[in-house]
Amino acid sequence: MLAYSPRIRVPFVVLASAVLMLAACNANTGGSTPPSGSTTSAAPSVIEPNKLTVLEWSGYEKDDFWKDFKTASPDTTVKFEFGISDADILSLMEGGSSADIFHFYTGWQQFYVDEGLVREIDTSKLTNWDKVPDSFKKMGQVNGKQYFLPWDWGFTSILYNTAHVSGDVTSWNALFDNKYAKHISMWDDGPAAVTVSAYVHGWDETKITDDQLAQIEREWKTQKPLNLHYWTGEYTDFCPEVISGDIWVAYAWQGCYATALVDGTQPVKYANPKEGRNSWVGLYGISTKTASYDLALKFLDDKLAAVSCGNAVTLFYYGCANQDVMKAITDPILIKAFAIDDPTVLEQTNFTPPVTQAQRDAWTAMWARVKAE
Amino acid sequence: MLGRRGSLWFLAIPPYLWLLLLFVLPLGAVVAISLLPGSGRINFSAGWPSTNQYQQVLETAAYLRRLGISAVMAFAVAASATVLAYPIAYFLAFRARGRATVFLILLLIPFASSYLLRVMAWKLLLGSEGAINWVLTSISLIHEPSALLVYSQAAVVITLIYVWIPFAALPIYAALQRIDRAHLEAAADLGAGPWTRFGRITVPMSLPGAVATFFMVFIPTVGEYVTPSLVGGTGGIMYGNLIQDFFTRGGNWPLGSALAVVMLLAVLALVLIALRLVDLRRVAV
Repeated sequence: MLAYSPRIRVPFVVLASAVLMLAACNANTGGSTPPSGSTTSAAPSVIEPNKLTVLEWSGYEKDDFWKDFKTASPDTTVKFEFGISDADILSLMEGGSSADIFHFYTGWQQFYVDEGLVREIDTSKLTNWDKVPDSFKKMGQVNGKQYFLPWDWGFTSILYNTAHVSGDVTSWNALFDNKYAKHISMWDDGPAAVTVSAYVHGWDETKITDDQLAQIEREWKTQKPLNLHYWTGEYTDFCPEVISGDIWVAYAWQGCYATALVDGTQPVKYANPKEGRNSWVGLYGISTKTASYDLALKFLDDKLAAVSCGNAVTLFYYGCANQDVMKAITDPILIKAFAIDDPTVLEQTNFTPPVTQAQRDAWTAMWARVKAE
Repeated sequence: MLGRRGSLWFLAIPPYLWLLLLFVLPLGAVVAISLLPGSGRINFSAGWPSTNQYQQVLETAAYLRRLGISAVMAFAVAASATVLAYPIAYFLAFRARGRATVFLILLLIPFASSYLLRVMAWKLLLGSEGAINWVLTSISLIHEPSALLVYSQAAVVITLIYVWIPFAALPIYAALQRIDRAHLEAAADLGAGPWTRFGRITVPMSLPGAVATFFMVFIPTVGEYVTPSLVGGTGGIMYGNLIQDFFTRGGNWPLGSALAVVMLLAVLALVLIALRLVDLRRVAV
């Protein structure tokens, strides 16, 4: 018996070590993060390091999208780290990322504030803040405080190929239409699926019941074979298929719509569903851990400046929170993509609401079951 | 001066330390996280350990069904890659002679390119504007090009077989190299023809290498997620994609970890059952 006991103990020792290691990491991150209530906009009096780390999405690190800062602060070292989803970026911040600035999308604001991961933004130090419309500023507010700076934004709607779809698409229901079987593409995202179903059924997406979620699951399971694939990257596995003509009806952001219009190979339209389009806003937050608060503010202020914002519009086909830049758009394709010629479009647009952790978990698990079916 | 035992320890410690830090501890962490009661920020202070996540996995038939589908796909990939790699290994071991090194280098050339690039090449080949669609439409087997060749379970299996074949040939080649040629000569002297020698000496003696190859391909393929993401479409989704989703898109590490541990245990069970059924020592004699 004794001869075997060390071998038996080894896995337990290893497991216990792993747990202790994780617990220590957890304690460290938790301990070093001040509660959100204690964060203020007051800048530290110490000399800040002349370097910034930005937790970004791949593609946004290109100089074009922070050109104004790069020109104004050539000596500052800016390092980019990457996340691949909103959940991933939140996990990285929770796990103690050293990023000074992080970028995520609407629906996740509350988590950062509740967990004390974000510092309030001192908007008095932003020279471009007056160019941001109030509706966008509100997206960055939690509990009446400005924690986030809105930057990129866009629509979500149905992109369709008029060579294969007769008549106008007038409802999100088009994603469930058997006529387009194997030529439909839905975004690979549980919360997005719930949002679409909520629009179709006229439900409040922030108050989805268990029965409604069960119905949503059944409907998306039935819809699954209609898809060519679930897309994950707008410019990697989605837009090329739209341009090649393989996808006829899709859940899409306006970036791909503009790309397809510029390409011109396929005749495409972007629907104005009777349930309304969806709209999302990209937000930047400054980490409570930053030692370069003023520099981070300067970086974000310069992101809002004309050149950086303009490049987001002209190179990425994403809207930017600087309304002067949006008003200056003259390219007919961009006017179409952002529906600038339709003054009523925003009245019919549903902005992505914040949802709870429990809802996100339930919706993600629902989508995993749909995919697993 | 180190003694014999000291030298052994000196040589053994680095790899064991490496394994402990980069395999055993992360695996322990995954197990520990899978025992968390809920999602959100990792916190072992409340409700740990809990079997909540495992209950959720085991009560969801769709997850287990997808694990079964992934195991069948992995079996098809492993069996096909092993069978297709065998002639290559045989050629290298018995026919290439002085040029074996050159052919071995040629076999390894695909490793010089990125895995993603090789998978993407298949996406281009199978895509609606790809060569295979062009051939099929040219010979009127299909009326119009279809993207469905690429987004399917079959595309995942074909691509994975292609990716694995060069890897699969190496252990079989090593097993064939170890066969004492005197056995084959003795069999020939006793009147055994080439097929008899192959069937009664070469195959049995190389079987341990072939079985090792099979498992070398099968085990990682069950948890594969990159290839199905690129060429699988909605039908080719594998169990690994579900795990990836919970980690990267759902932010639900505990459930993702539980799915991973269940897969690990299932694969271990399958391997143990297979090794029980195939007694390598007997077969190889």
